[in-house]
Amino acid sequence: MKLKLVAAFAVLALVFTSCGEKTDVVESGTYQGTIKEVEPEKTEIYVETADGKTLELYCTDTTTLTRDGNTVEFSELEEGQNVEVQVEKTGKRLDPISVIILE
Amino acid sequence: MSEIPEFLRTEVYHPLFVHFPIALLLLGTLFKIIGYWSKGQFLSLPGTIILSLGVIGGWIAIYTGDLADGIVSRTLCDPTILKDHENSSYTTMWLFSGALIFDLLFQLKLISFKRKLFDILIIVTLILGSGYLIYTGHLGATLVYEQAAGVNIPSSDCANFN
Repeated sequence: MKLKLVAAFAVLALVFTSCGEKTDVVESGTYQGTIKEVEPEKTEIYVETADGKTLELYCTDTTTLTRDGNTVEFSELEEGQNVEVQVEKTGKRLDPISVIILE
Repeated sequence: MSEIPEFLRTEVYHPLFVHFPIALLLLGTLFKIIGYWSKGQFLSLPGTIILSLGVIGGWIAIYTGDLADGIVSRTLCDPTILKDHENSSYTTMWLFSGALIFDLLFQLKLISFKRKLFDILIIVTLILGSGYLIYTGHLGATLVYEQAAGVNIPSSDCANFN
């Protein structure tokens, strides 16, 4: 019983220590992927690329958001959408130049 | 000439607030450890109260940190450190919260079985949480002192202070 409790505690500790989202840094360029999460209050999106990388992108006033060639508001971005993002790597920060909603 | 920004801006709430739970959680852990090894209860209840305040403060610090995140992330050269800081802070708070819940259950006598074993598990969790707390603080300090997160950098001629 004592061993089981200690084992349960160890598993719980491992779960705690392994939780949390990891993000990746990529080179400047254009990437296609799926929006994994949208944080409207921070105008932030997480995009998961086809090769499994997670890009954390903070949209700014200079980021262009488009769908079918038309400019759209940030509120149009939703989880699960396929997007094409153009990013510029500054240090290890990814600045989104453009986000195109593909569907 | 740029003006000196208002001091009480959103990204400053976090450093203003975060040091209280850091002190409370470490002090609470110390009280619990001393209370356990001294076999006396005189430090145990104060330890629980301090830990409770620390856990409440810790979650508020996470909230203020989240507010700051949305502002400073756009200016950092390496936001991955911020992400590690955020992940580590959640781990810290879940560990302390878990330990506190079990400690409260025993203090309120809602459970009483395997007390000795749980006391050890609670202390181990608090020590683990303290380790994560120190690491989280280190990452936070790195963000401020290496990347000037949330910091106003005056011009070299200090013109805006004239």
